[in-house]
Amino acid sequence: MTSWLDHTVNGLIIGNIYALIAVGLALIFGVSNLINFAHGSVYMIGAYTGWVCVAAIGTPLPLTLLGVVVGCAALGILIERFGLRPLQGAPRIAPLLATIGIGLVLEQIAQLIFSPDPRALPSQLPAWRLPLGSGSIGALDLFIAAVGVVSTAVLYGFLRFTHLGWAVRATAQDRDAALQMGIDVHRVNQVVFAIASALGGLSGVLVGMYFNNIFPAMGFQATLKGFVAELIGGVGSVPGAVAGSLLLGLIESYGVALLGTSYRNLFAFLILIAVLVWRPNGIFSSTRQVPPEPLTGTFIAPSKPVHVPRWAYAAATAIFLALPLIWRDSYIIQTLTNAWLYGMLALSLTLVAGTTGQMSLGHAGLLAIGGYASALLALDLGVPVPLALLLAGFITAALGTLLIFPAFRLRGHYVAIATLAIGEIVGLVILNWEGLTRGPIGVVGIPPLEFFGLPLYDTSALYWVSFTIMVLLALLQWRLTQYHLGRALRAIREDDVAARAFGISLNRYKGLAFAFSGFVAGLSGAITAHMYSYINHETFNTQISLLALTMIILGGMGNIFGAIVGAVALIGLPEMFRAVAEYRILLYGIVLLLLVRFRPQGLMGTV
Amino acid sequence: MAARRMARVSSVVALLALLVLTACSAAPQAIAPTEPPVQPPTVPAAAAPPTTVPAAPTEQTVSSEPILIGVSGPLTGQNAQYGAQWKKGFDLALDQINRDGGINGRPLQYLFEDTQSDPKQTVAVAQKFVNDPRIVIELGDFASPASMAASSIYERAGLVQFGFTNSHPDFTKGGEYMWSNSISQADNAPLLANYAVTDLGLRRLAVLHLNTDWGRTTTDLFVAAVKARGGEVVAVEGYLPEEKDFRSTLTRVRDANPDGLVLISYYADGALITQQVRTTGLTQPIVASGSIYSPKFLELAGEAANGVYTNTNFFPEEDREEVRTFVTAFKAKYGEEPDSFAAGAYDTMILVYHVIKQAGPDRKAIRDTLATIKGVPSVIYGTVQFDPATRRISGPRNINLVIKDGTYTVWDGTLPASQ
Repeated sequence: MTSWLDHTVNGLIIGNIYALIAVGLALIFGVSNLINFAHGSVYMIGAYTGWVCVAAIGTPLPLTLLGVVVGCAALGILIERFGLRPLQGAPRIAPLLATIGIGLVLEQIAQLIFSPDPRALPSQLPAWRLPLGSGSIGALDLFIAAVGVVSTAVLYGFLRFTHLGWAVRATAQDRDAALQMGIDVHRVNQVVFAIASALGGLSGVLVGMYFNNIFPAMGFQATLKGFVAELIGGVGSVPGAVAGSLLLGLIESYGVALLGTSYRNLFAFLILIAVLVWRPNGIFSSTRQVPPEPLTGTFIAPSKPVHVPRWAYAAATAIFLALPLIWRDSYIIQTLTNAWLYGMLALSLTLVAGTTGQMSLGHAGLLAIGGYASALLALDLGVPVPLALLLAGFITAALGTLLIFPAFRLRGHYVAIATLAIGEIVGLVILNWEGLTRGPIGVVGIPPLEFFGLPLYDTSALYWVSFTIMVLLALLQWRLTQYHLGRALRAIREDDVAARAFGISLNRYKGLAFAFSGFVAGLSGAITAHMYSYINHETFNTQISLLALTMIILGGMGNIFGAIVGAVALIGLPEMFRAVAEYRILLYGIVLLLLVRFRPQGLMGTV
Repeated sequence: MAARRMARVSSVVALLALLVLTACSAAPQAIAPTEPPVQPPTVPAAAAPPTTVPAAPTEQTVSSEPILIGVSGPLTGQNAQYGAQWKKGFDLALDQINRDGGINGRPLQYLFEDTQSDPKQTVAVAQKFVNDPRIVIELGDFASPASMAASSIYERAGLVQFGFTNSHPDFTKGGEYMWSNSISQADNAPLLANYAVTDLGLRRLAVLHLNTDWGRTTTDLFVAAVKARGGEVVAVEGYLPEEKDFRSTLTRVRDANPDGLVLISYYADGALITQQVRTTGLTQPIVASGSIYSPKFLELAGEAANGVYTNTNFFPEEDREEVRTFVTAFKAKYGEEPDSFAAGAYDTMILVYHVIKQAGPDRKAIRDTLATIKGVPSVIYGTVQFDPATRRISGPRNINLVIKDGTYTVWDGTLPASQ
């Protein structure tokens, strides 16, 4: 029985840490309706600022914390001023891409300055420990809890009782109305970013001290858990974020107690889906209805897509078909093959996220399903590879739609977070379902693609296969979205209430879109699996989902040709920057930011 | 308005073009610079690679063109720290090799392509390497999914893919051209079991392992080895590489009532667990796999590191010439202690040097020589000889260590006292 007490204490301790991150995220999300992917990087910068203070300058704790708070608040102001404010009039999706770019740049800079090696960040608090249950808690645990409680209380008071706080809340409720009432919304945004970033930095340094371990890539996982906690508690609610974090910590801890460590994250993400489905407003909210997020119609701003004449498409197709014959450099051909495979993924994503307006952050999960389905069909059941590919497409369509179905009633950013969780769940199930997937050892010796018994080893053959399939799928998608189906899907994107009033069954059309999307992504994953010959649960990771989203935003949401252009650009750029070695991802981030800044509607424009 | 927009778009295009141009013009710098053949005063004379290998007939072309080795590995992304360690090991070995005249007067150099250990980038890099006639052998990649995705490309092109960190049991089964000097877990796991069960007398063990292909393979072999020695494994917990909080896991482990904890971990996660073991109220001794061996482990685990047992294939204080040479030179060049990743990289470069010296800069001959080469000095193995059937090396050095007062010391036979 004592173990349950210990598990409870453990859960509260880690929940305490999630809370610090979740509060900052809640604040930004609440006011600017923005999933801030740069928050994790600010958190990391906070940790490194703390390290510089402690290890290099040797400041005492209060000064260290002050340094971190001031430094990160300034960073937040800079991010808001130069990264996000210029995108004010741009489609709502552009700032999201900008935060991805900013996060990438900050992370790379930290890595270049401090080296990628983890560093120790020693705690500056006294080392005494308080026995609790059969374990103990330290001064730092109590301090972190105190910081969490105090900052929540101060924030609550600020939002409730000060003029600026009222302005923040007014802006969160209705930005345009606030503007009309004479509120300087730029200043409000700036304040919000300063406070949230200061909190983010503070949590970075405290968590760094807690684990005595900081590294440049520490932000991503932390933000992921922060998001989960925040959504459980209720988006935008600061006390909800704290409560959600503690609850998440407890659930994880009990999950480990019941099933074992490898089920920990699976538990966290399943709980998230359950909460989103049953109480999308968070478990502490009184209403069960999704709030009318002011997203309809504004999420993707209409822009005039770049007009490309038909002969140009035909010419481009002909040139790329002939390319392996002309340019016999298998490095180029391989890179383009990768681009075509990612092009399929982007096609798949642009249909649901661009055309239908259902932002998916879990598309790598679909690749994984397709890849494993085809590999296991070919290896375990001896299905011929072409048939396995086709079956993999259908399996992914069915399974993917089924998995995403619970998220159909969600809107806007909630869909994004739900799909992110679903993507993680797919990876974790693959890791844990050893009987079928061979767990972490992975699937070895996947046969190569073949064409009527003739194995396709050749780089050019692979190129032609992926290019042809991609072009055929693109044509099919274009044909489908050109007429009735496309109009219905776009109607759902623009205003789902109006669409329903016109007799469009939301679930059926979303189901159709996700099924087609699943088929395309599944095929891409399957071809990839046969090309690699070895896959495991890490082959198709969350980074790929983010990359796919970046591709379609860059190309222009819903734009079929844009999706392919985006894929070629984002697969090609890091290869082009090879010569600058360690700096290439930094360069890639900067280019991304510039593209968003000057072409927020995407290279080819939204459709 | 439209004109302004056009101007903006064109400025972006111009900027992009500029970036691409700079990238292209910087290309030659990507080849790792090698030190000029002037003897650095800090490296002792003993640092010369021992020449126990009989000089084999090689091409007598008098050329000073460098001989190139392709390296595919992470310089950015989640695993960037390992790529950074590799570079240190490689550079040190090349300093010594090229100071002594390289290979028949031709300097040995490497071309490090960053892949972030991401399979889609390793396949592209593989194509790049196989097409580059200057490259005679390839090293890497870091993680198995990334390395094995590229294997078929190397195999078909007939370029050796030397996966020196690839312990996945199926890596070398990818083809005739897949070789590895990564320590086989079939060797290491029983040694660890020996230390824990036979030497330290721990009967009931709880295993915490990284839930990756490496961690899982090692754990399976370890559990079997423990049973063969009459021990019992009472709990097995696999954790994700990004996990930071282990308190719940440790409470679960405590309930299994083990005599000792076994960590199949890398240094960063191993340090986190070690720290949290004590704050969760567990007092059992910790035995960790040699992969935690790094000065970073001591730094990250702090006080809690004291009393941790580990056995390692590489120990800087081991009294052997290869080890002394490597460690002295490493400390002189970088001002820090080497870890096992740097040692592995150094060892690999020295091995590659001997192979190319004997085979000449020819891809096929290099493969054939790997099968026959004998007696190459090695920090990790003593001397190197491959089993041509498995294309791996067996019999790594093994030293039992315990951490005392924040340093690794050779275990003197004292049994753990806490039980």
